[in-house]
This record gives sequence, C-alpha cells and structure tokens, in this order.
Amino acid sequence: MSEPISIAVAGYVMALNLAMRTGSGVSAEAQAVRRSACALVDSLEKSITLFGPKSIVISEIHDLAADCIDPAWDGEEATAIYPIVVERAINFIRALPNDVRLPQVAADPDGALSLDWISSRTRVFSVSVGSTNRLAYAWIDGTDRGHAVARFDGTAIPGLIMDGIRQVEDGGDVAFRTA
Amino acid sequence: MLLSGLPDSVGDDEDITRVLRSSSHFTASYVKASAFMPANDEATSVFRHGAEPREDLWRIARELFGPDARIYGAAVCKVRCIREQRLEVVADEPPPRHANIIGWPMNVDPEMQRAQQKELALVIASRSTLMRTNE
Repeated sequence: MSEPISIAVAGYVMALNLAMRTGSGVSAEAQAVRRSACALVDSLEKSITLFGPKSIVISEIHDLAADCIDPAWDGEEATAIYPIVVERAINFIRALPNDVRLPQVAADPDGALSLDWISSRTRVFSVSVGSTNRLAYAWIDGTDRGHAVARFDGTAIPGLIMDGIRQVEDGGDVAFRTA
Repeated sequence: MLLSGLPDSVGDDEDITRVLRSSSHFTASYVKASAFMPANDEATSVFRHGAEPREDLWRIARELFGPDARIYGAAVCKVRCIREQRLEVVADEPPPRHANIIGWPMNVDPEMQRAQQKELALVIASRSTLMRTNE
C-alpha cells in the first residue's frame, strides 16, 4: 500500500527541511538536530541510490513485519512474522533483476510474507517466503493455474519462479509448469 | 435452525464475507490471496452476509472483532466459488452468522501445503469483490 511510502516521503521532506534550514538557531540543540537531519538525508539518499525502488519495498517489509510482530495480529489465529522470514524476504527482493517490476507485499496468517505480482484480477503470481530456504509459489493466469516449491539460496532467484514472474508480467510465451 | 435464524447448512448461493484486518490484504481494486489463507487452525473465518446492506456488514464485523478493532474492508464471494475449489463452508456459531472455510489441502511438506493452499486462495480472491470501509 502507499501509506508506508508516503510516511517515508514525509519523513524525508521533514529531514530535508531541517537539514537545509539556515535560520538563526545557533543553540547546541539546534545544531545537533540539523546535523542529525543531514545524516538522515544522506543515509536515505545513499540507500535509494544503492537499491533504488527496492529500498522502498524493503521498507514496506519492515513496516508490515512490525505490524505483525505479535501472534493473532489479524484478531484471530495468525502467527507472528519472525525476523528470519523478514531477512529471507529482503534477500529475495535484493536478488530480483532490476528490470523486473517489484512485488506487492502481504502478510499470510501462517507467518509467511507473500510477494505478489498482480497484473490483473486473473493474472497473479505469488511467492510465499517462510522460515525455511524453500519457497512456496502459486499462480493463476486466466484459466491456467498451478503451484510448486523451489529452493532459494539467498542470492539467486530460482529459474522457475523467475519464469513465472515474467509470464504474469509480460503475458509472454515463457512456459512454466511444476517440475 | 441456528441462533442467528440462518439454516444449519450453508447454501451455494449464499454470500460470505471475509473481514480484512490487514492493509496488506488488498490493492486499490483487488483482494489478495493472503486475505483467504487459513491460519494455523486450518480454517478461514468468514461470516454469512453479502455486500448489502452495507451498514449491517460493518456492524457484524464490529461485533465479531470488537468496537476498537481496525477493519479495512471486506472480501465478498459466493459459497459456490469456495466449493468449486473443493473446499467447504460450514456454519460455526456463535457468534451469529459465523462460518469457517475448511478442507484446505494438507501435506507433510509444509511449503508444499502452503503452495497448494495459495493456489486455491488466489482463485477465491480473484472471484471476490472488495468492499472498503471508507466507501
């Protein structure tokens, strides 16, 4: 959702204002606030330069994990999202090629993080990142549908998952099926 | 007949509603599969009500989760759509109108189980209508 992005942007703008301010406030506190704001702006800009839009998705993952840090975050039986799940999801995002549209993030009640590529109501590819190095994934593409599991070493996106994402994104001719 | 006045058996043509308690469970237009995924009890909690009357929909949701619970919206679909995925909808009162989607695939391999369940949840989500509380 756009809420975390807008909060991040608002925080950035506020920090930028503070950093750029050249007013007459010369107290030690004012200077300390300005220095901190400069450091924050610098850090944010470096992060966005290094990881581009991926840093925004990673920020969304952190925000969602914070929302789901306690069990029953859905008011029912949901499992908390553990740090190992967050770490694996972030590794997955970092491993994605830069020419692929980034996914939307959702929390699954079983404690997994869902990374969803939604091209239309009936064309969706979804990867569930849990606490192991095996990724559950499923897709619908019109009347075609399926599911499978692939191993993720933390650095390279499994080929079948990459094919599935591209299929849903491009509607291309890449054939992918369960092994 | 149940306390709510509804019949014990849930009909194919009935609407069921899944309350959306996470802002991550929908986009601007669509319901995501995560909204329908079962929790550890292997059931997805729903209630037997359609999109209208809208005031009743939100009132029932508040009764189910409490007056202070954050409710972002609801996903509404036909029971038939659930059963077409070889899942079942069974009444589970109290609270009034409460029901569960049960029969989710089970597998000794937890990741394969998650993948099987996700496929069904994708189909159900694609056939659901998103209702937002701020509409």
